[in-house]
Amino acid sequence: MNKKLIFLIVAVLILFFLPLIYKASFFIHVLILIFMFAMASQAWDLVGGYTGQISFGNAIFFGIGAYTSTLLYMHWSVTPWIGMLVGGVVAVIVALIVGYPAFKLKGHYFLLATIGIGEIIRTLFLNWPAVGGAQGIFIPFEKESFWNFQFHSSKLPYYYIILTLFILTFLVSYFVEKSKLGFYFKAIREDEDAAKAMGIHTQKFKFVAFAISAFLTAITGTFYAQYLMYIDPNSVMPFMLSTQIVLVAILGGMGYLFGPLLGSLVLIPLSELTRVLLGSSGSGFHLVIYGLLIMLISMYKPAGLAGWIQEWNFNKKKAAGGEVDGTTINS
Amino acid sequence: MAPLLTVENVTKEFSGIVANKDVNFEINEGEIVSLIGPNGAGKTTMFSMIAGALSPSSGSIVFNGEEISKKQAFEICHLGIARTFQVVRVLKQMTVLENVIVGALSRTNSVKIARGEAENILKVTGLYLKKDYLGKNLTLADMKRLEVAKALATKPKLLLLDEVMAGLTPVETNEAVELLREIHGMGITLFIVEHVMEAIMPVSDRIIVLDAGKKIAEGSPEEVVNDERVIKAYLGDRYHARS
Repeated sequence: MNKKLIFLIVAVLILFFLPLIYKASFFIHVLILIFMFAMASQAWDLVGGYTGQISFGNAIFFGIGAYTSTLLYMHWSVTPWIGMLVGGVVAVIVALIVGYPAFKLKGHYFLLATIGIGEIIRTLFLNWPAVGGAQGIFIPFEKESFWNFQFHSSKLPYYYIILTLFILTFLVSYFVEKSKLGFYFKAIREDEDAAKAMGIHTQKFKFVAFAISAFLTAITGTFYAQYLMYIDPNSVMPFMLSTQIVLVAILGGMGYLFGPLLGSLVLIPLSELTRVLLGSSGSGFHLVIYGLLIMLISMYKPAGLAGWIQEWNFNKKKAAGGEVDGTTINS
Repeated sequence: MAPLLTVENVTKEFSGIVANKDVNFEINEGEIVSLIGPNGAGKTTMFSMIAGALSPSSGSIVFNGEEISKKQAFEICHLGIARTFQVVRVLKQMTVLENVIVGALSRTNSVKIARGEAENILKVTGLYLKKDYLGKNLTLADMKRLEVAKALATKPKLLLLDEVMAGLTPVETNEAVELLREIHGMGITLFIVEHVMEAIMPVSDRIIVLDAGKKIAEGSPEEVVNDERVIKAYLGDRYHARS
């Protein structure tokens, strides 16, 4: 236990000092994206990995976060920090409205419904002049400050903000997993009828999972808006974003605390590097590599990287002849 | 004293097919009552209605003085009825201990307390040594035990056991009967659906027989095995001759 804690503290320290040592702008940009996707994916995993309700529509919450803070700032000069929290609350409300019909569906049908709802909301924003329509919104440049959530001279402040937000999201997941909620979420994932028979108000707890997830995803959306200083429906709520959030979690291992971070650490650099190195050929080759990796993972390691590491740890312990509680391992 | 459970004129139809027709019976506190009948007689449907997974087309079900026929499964669980599933519904990717903790959490918000209770229940049900196994890695006999353990963890007054002995070897069946006696000893009323007659005859206070959705007989085990209609519908002449 102590060993784990020391490992975590060291890891956080390394992450803190890393961009101070290696200062390349592109490097910091990739780090920012890694933690942004890790955060969105960690939030998604509460619904998808733990509760087993695979949502392919989480980009709408991301977009709602981005739009809420941006519109509040444009019209009433509300600082994006407050806009961020308001965006979270709006996303929770939308999640409850969307969840009401969607949670009546199970499995693939739930997934299809979330795709449909996501596309409806994106199309709505595309054709809604009051929120900038398809042209989107440029966030006006202000004086660089923490309060304004704008930093022009360096990307570093953005990095520290997203790192902090990610750690908070991770802690939320950690406490959910250890609490009654975590047990109930997993029970719903494993067997909804059995969960009901054990006294779980499954509908209510699905809502709880969806609400926490929506809130955290919206916060990521606000961050993204402030980072890019420009939003439009096709950049903050496209289906591709929903998919990427899901893929990061699948690659890393759904329902594992470290899954989203691991997935993001592999997938985002890969996606960015292949885009930079191969994207200019115009042939979309980077997407081929990306797709191939996902196929390999789903074929050979469906439990994802986190599941793989757990398995490897188990085998190592067994080889050492130590005491194994590894009957918990996926076989 | 009022009965613990009263089932009154309960009928269940599935788009024209009648699974239960005007069924009446009562279960008193502290009893062990068995429900038998041929396949398709409506036993599991009756269980599902009492447990709230289905709601009756008509009729009433009263538990502990409260009408429960319109309530949902999780509410009924909190009132004190727990069930096992005929086709085991173990939480496969969770450990045995976690399975039982989920049940125990219905009575507390503290995972720590639930864990303690779950460990005790695993000791009673003989699964303690396998507490770290994943649900899916258990043998059928152990999965059936786990079904019982999960249900027990919700602290029921009335426990509905749906064919917990089906598919078990004779040795495992004997162990299961022992477990039933032990659970009954904790003051829990048992209502059992079972096909393994030899096993439940000696432990049942009363037996209710369903055939084609209707109750055709009710009484002590001796009365029931000698009932003409029951022999014809279910037991068969061979069993009759042997007993």
